[in-house]
Amino acid sequence: MKPILEVQGLTRIHGTECPSCLDMTGPEHNTNVCPACGSIVAAANVSFSLQPGEILGIMGESGSGKSTVVKTLYFDQAPTRGKACFRDDTRTHDLFELNSAEQRWLRNHRFGMVYQNPNLGLNFSISAGGNIAERLLMNDLNHYGDIRRRASELLTRTDVMVGRMDESPRQFSGGMQQRVQIAKALATRPPLLFLDEVTTGLDLSVQARILDLILEIQHELDTAMIVVTHDLGVIRLLASRTLVMKHGRVIESGLTDQILEDPQHAYTQQLVASTL
Amino acid sequence: MNPNYKLPAAQDSYSFGFLDEFAKREIRRVILKAISIPGYQTPYASREMPMGRGFGTGGLQLTLAMIGPDDTLKVIDQGSDDSVNAVNLRKFAELTCPGVSTTESTADASLIQTRHRVPETALREDQVLNLQVPYPDPLVIVEPSEARRKVMHGEGDYARLLTKLYEDLVQFDEITISHRYPTRVNGHYVIDPSPIPRYDVPRLHQAKALMLFGAGREKKIYAVPPYTDAEPLVFDDIPFRTENFHTADGKRRPCARCGATDSFLDELNLETGGKAWQCSDTDYCNRQLAAANDREVTP
Repeated sequence: MKPILEVQGLTRIHGTECPSCLDMTGPEHNTNVCPACGSIVAAANVSFSLQPGEILGIMGESGSGKSTVVKTLYFDQAPTRGKACFRDDTRTHDLFELNSAEQRWLRNHRFGMVYQNPNLGLNFSISAGGNIAERLLMNDLNHYGDIRRRASELLTRTDVMVGRMDESPRQFSGGMQQRVQIAKALATRPPLLFLDEVTTGLDLSVQARILDLILEIQHELDTAMIVVTHDLGVIRLLASRTLVMKHGRVIESGLTDQILEDPQHAYTQQLVASTL
Repeated sequence: MNPNYKLPAAQDSYSFGFLDEFAKREIRRVILKAISIPGYQTPYASREMPMGRGFGTGGLQLTLAMIGPDDTLKVIDQGSDDSVNAVNLRKFAELTCPGVSTTESTADASLIQTRHRVPETALREDQVLNLQVPYPDPLVIVEPSEARRKVMHGEGDYARLLTKLYEDLVQFDEITISHRYPTRVNGHYVIDPSPIPRYDVPRLHQAKALMLFGAGREKKIYAVPPYTDAEPLVFDDIPFRTENFHTADGKRRPCARCGATDSFLDELNLETGGKAWQCSDTDYCNRQLAAANDREVTP
């Protein structure tokens, strides 16, 4: 089976880049700020591949560059350099070579994103149903009745009361907002879903229900996902393979079981050992 | 305007049509570009006019850049030839364009400048309609940044505008936009057709006359060329609805003055209390009245 997503040498540097940026930052220097020019190396030479229907975890402390990787793939940020190929049925898209209209098309039609902060993924000035409608409208579904039906199906699927679909998500609890976000991301049945710290800040029972939902969706729709989190429990539950990042570099990658049971890198060992 | 007012003695310093030739050339070039890309808001250097921005300077610059001595000009304001805006703009054209004749009859005009209405009388291929536009961009209600709006227009990304319509339907079972109804031109750009009522929007579709839109304050010109599709933004299952002027028992109100039942009506508050409905297009109303009188004279 061919991978749905292949990323090679993804690099994102904030600031004026100098030749020593990559050499003088990273875990071995214990910083991601280049001492020569002050640029921040958010991610450097990140490479991985993702199979259809697979869940890949990206784990690391805050500031390690895990969100940057996902945001560049979702076109929220442009990478400094690197290559990413997305395989869609028969066509292969070289993500960073596409023009902005093509990127927008992929983002709306083939990708889904769930942010840690529902403020980023949802428009609070329109109703929950309207948020889902917006995404369906981006996909050229232009039938009001169909949009209503799809939106209520999606909200039912993600355990949001359909009776509250015409309310603003502002009036929802954090867990419900997150479920609306998931419904919105799933509206177009995307083959690739990005989850950026989806359960952070939610209480444990809500976390568990959202993780269950994500797993169910993955079984149902065979969606490939990239799960970004600093929570080892989430990684253990969801991901089959994991990358561990620190200071913008991937320091360890492999099967989740292996990484959690037999961590090789000192930082991963510390991370695993420090779990409560 | 003082009817005895005359231009300064050195009249040579004023070009025909007030604008200097360079300004006219630029506006004409922009008009050509606007026609070539139907619905695209073409930027231009809006000139200072001897009236406040927002008083129709965009439409007036279009008119003055296009008008020639053999043209017949009609100026209307919300359908009426006699309201302040229309009268003053017409007088200004008479003052600055010697030889140009003005008319109140839609059929006789070669050039029509209008504010907030499309005339009831169907326009012909040899006529041009210049609409005065206050806000040219329909996306302004969903996106405050002009740079981002330009990208959205370029990519034909109008999902957020449709989301606004969706929200209206959810909340009110009805799209609440009464005028400036977003309209898709030639299958791509969505325009703000200036504050014409919904009633007039279907008149842009496959019109015989060229329709030009000038926004003086916002410095934009755009066009709906003749025989071009102009479709209001709607959902597939919810048809576009125009004002129907029905009474409570579902009958179409006639015009109180001429009795027409096929025109856009203004609601008037009578001095005696109560209300009356009357054609907004005064030329159309007068002609209907004249035709009715003719019928009475020759039975």
